[in-house]
Amino acid sequence: MFFHNYKYALKTLLKNKALVFWTLAFPFILAIFFNLAFARLHDYDQFEPFDIAIVRDDAYNNEQTFAAAFKTLTSGDERMFKAKYVDFDEADKMLDEEKVEGIVYVKDGQAHVKIKGNGTNQTVLKMTTEQVAQMSGMIDDIADAEQQRAGGTLNLIEVKMKAAEIVQNAQPKISDDSHVMNVVSIEFFTLIAMACMQGAMLSSEMLNRCLPNLSHRGKRVAIAPTKKSVVVLSNLLAGYTMLLGSVILLILFMRFVLGVDFGDNMGLIMLLASIGSLTATMFGMLLAVMFKMSDNAKQVVVLIITMVGCLFAGMFGGMKIFFDEACPWMNKINPVGLITDGFYSLLYYDDMTRFIVNALSLVALAAIFFVLSVRNLRRARYDSV
Amino acid sequence: MTVSRAFWKIALKNIGTIILYTNMLVLFGTMNINSGSTTAQFEAAKPTVVVFNHDKEAGVTKGFLEYLNKNAEVSKDYADDDRLKDALFYEQVTLVIDIPEEYHQEFALGHDPELKMRSSAGYSAELAKVIVRRYLTAAKAYSTLGLNDNELASKVEKSLEKEIDVELKTKADTAKYSTATRYFSFANYSILACVITIICLIMMSFNRMEVRKRNLVSSIEISKMNRTLLKNCCIYSLGVWALFVIIGFFVLGFDVLWSIHGLLYIANTLIFAGCATTVAFLVSQFVTSQGAVSGMMNVIALGSSFLCGAFVPAEYLPGAVLGFAHIMPSYYFIDASNKIMALEDYSFASLLPILINMAIVLVFAIGFALITNYVSKKKQKIA
Repeated sequence: MFFHNYKYALKTLLKNKALVFWTLAFPFILAIFFNLAFARLHDYDQFEPFDIAIVRDDAYNNEQTFAAAFKTLTSGDERMFKAKYVDFDEADKMLDEEKVEGIVYVKDGQAHVKIKGNGTNQTVLKMTTEQVAQMSGMIDDIADAEQQRAGGTLNLIEVKMKAAEIVQNAQPKISDDSHVMNVVSIEFFTLIAMACMQGAMLSSEMLNRCLPNLSHRGKRVAIAPTKKSVVVLSNLLAGYTMLLGSVILLILFMRFVLGVDFGDNMGLIMLLASIGSLTATMFGMLLAVMFKMSDNAKQVVVLIITMVGCLFAGMFGGMKIFFDEACPWMNKINPVGLITDGFYSLLYYDDMTRFIVNALSLVALAAIFFVLSVRNLRRARYDSV
Repeated sequence: MTVSRAFWKIALKNIGTIILYTNMLVLFGTMNINSGSTTAQFEAAKPTVVVFNHDKEAGVTKGFLEYLNKNAEVSKDYADDDRLKDALFYEQVTLVIDIPEEYHQEFALGHDPELKMRSSAGYSAELAKVIVRRYLTAAKAYSTLGLNDNELASKVEKSLEKEIDVELKTKADTAKYSTATRYFSFANYSILACVITIICLIMMSFNRMEVRKRNLVSSIEISKMNRTLLKNCCIYSLGVWALFVIIGFFVLGFDVLWSIHGLLYIANTLIFAGCATTVAFLVSQFVTSQGAVSGMMNVIALGSSFLCGAFVPAEYLPGAVLGFAHIMPSYYFIDASNKIMALEDYSFASLLPILINMAIVLVFAIGFALITNYVSKKKQKIA
């Protein structure tokens, strides 16, 4: 009887267009939108050379070290800038017409940068020009010191070349222990968490259909000679199966079609997704049992709770750390936050403590929801429905 | 009058949903501007760094710390390693520097002591790394001169004092209006979501087959009824727009919105609210259940917001996505907001691109209204 009920409950769920949309189609649509919108934010390290204008006049040519450095920066395969050597008026016109991101020129022995707007390229240009100017000064300083030490007997060009070599070879020893992970990943993690939580609609809908005070089908089920536990558990299992199936499909879609990085722990990712789905299923059960509302109203409640949970978990512009600082308990009881943090800790932290704490918290929440639901379901008698 | 009365009677029945949705979405818009963008723009802002110094504050170490204090925000709030890791991930801290014991002495002796660092992703971290490397490269280059500890530090400091002149060739105060632009760009989602949800909910009652049949045999013309319904939908949208603007005054400040820039934002949003109303009116012709309304609302509002640059600045969107976005009114609305931010003066030539965008949104609105009328007439024949 259990599997008979389970089979028909699953069929009923799959035929419910609204539920299929919210639990299966909607997360996929969002994942595609996320991928399209955040595609370029993934590529932090990719640097494309951009157009600049260099004013080549006598003042520029006189600063030989500066000019030589810019020649290196604007030629070869690893160049930083695509330079156009023009006079000042032409450069100004090009800047106005936004053909170049900025102008580099020398006036009274000082390097100048002229830009329009304040973006990434403009700042890179400013920083690089400043660095070149400072390095030119350093080369002059070191050459002067060497010359003084030798009593002014050295060849000026040779000593400058030697100084330039010293500055170029001065590479400080810095070890970089960064564990860089794109902040955009959190958006995809919240999306999986959202998909899990929206699955509460499935169990809520199925329980509504078993309760005599909520649906006509519930009345028929109540008088049928089948144990209530069998009916309830088979319906819950059907909801859980459909939810878990859709979440696993979503993760596989993100991993293999959209190329989202989940690290090497796909097994643990799936485990956390299944625990999250279980919590959502129990939450849906609690919602169905505790509140006497229509299916539509319960769907709206699940949607609102999920979206607010997503807000706290960081789906809308990195709010997670803000809430973690302002009210640390918030994401400790927010299933969306716990699932998101579980994925995040799995990829970002070296030890498993935080992941285990998140997973156990979700299990604890699922247990609380289940116990509360069962307390309300047990020995329920209706004088009138 | 009868149609209007029925419209508002149904609206009153859904007042709970209307208040909930309207406030929630306007609140989301407000929170969005306070959250800070995940898409950090590489402006001449100081990166936040955390320094764990195990060395004495002397020589190169002292000079390095002073240089960092001058060129970066040095935070002392992160003693807990987990908090620090989270802050690095969320780019609140962009670089963590560990200075080992006896660093300055080793440096002065010409040895090559190792400095440890951890960085976040993003441009701000790259900027912080450039600052660190710049100081240490200079220190290493000058260390070849055989200077003592203090001479070395002062020589490095002097060489790095050299700054270049940067001339900014624009009169537009983009920083002042960037928050306003983000607020009004987010209106694409808030207004579309609010207007589509509520108008479709109300219109569903009018479009129920039995009600529709009764309306069709009544004395009132279908086009007149449609006009009256659209007029009432516009009044609701006007209310949403007004609420968004009033909250904008509190959130963005009176000086930002009570200016020509501010009025342009407000006018642009008003035109978009009108267009959103016609979109909602068109969608309402096809939906028959509350679930379908939510689905359509999410696909339209979220889709256009993601693809047209309401959530992620348009400059970060791939070219193909932006190309596709041109077929949606949201693109022209958000583009107009960005153009208002960059507005240098109020001459006709400067205002023209913004006015063209507004006109395109209006054309979209008229188009949607005409399509709705066509669909409605088609349905009349079927009924």
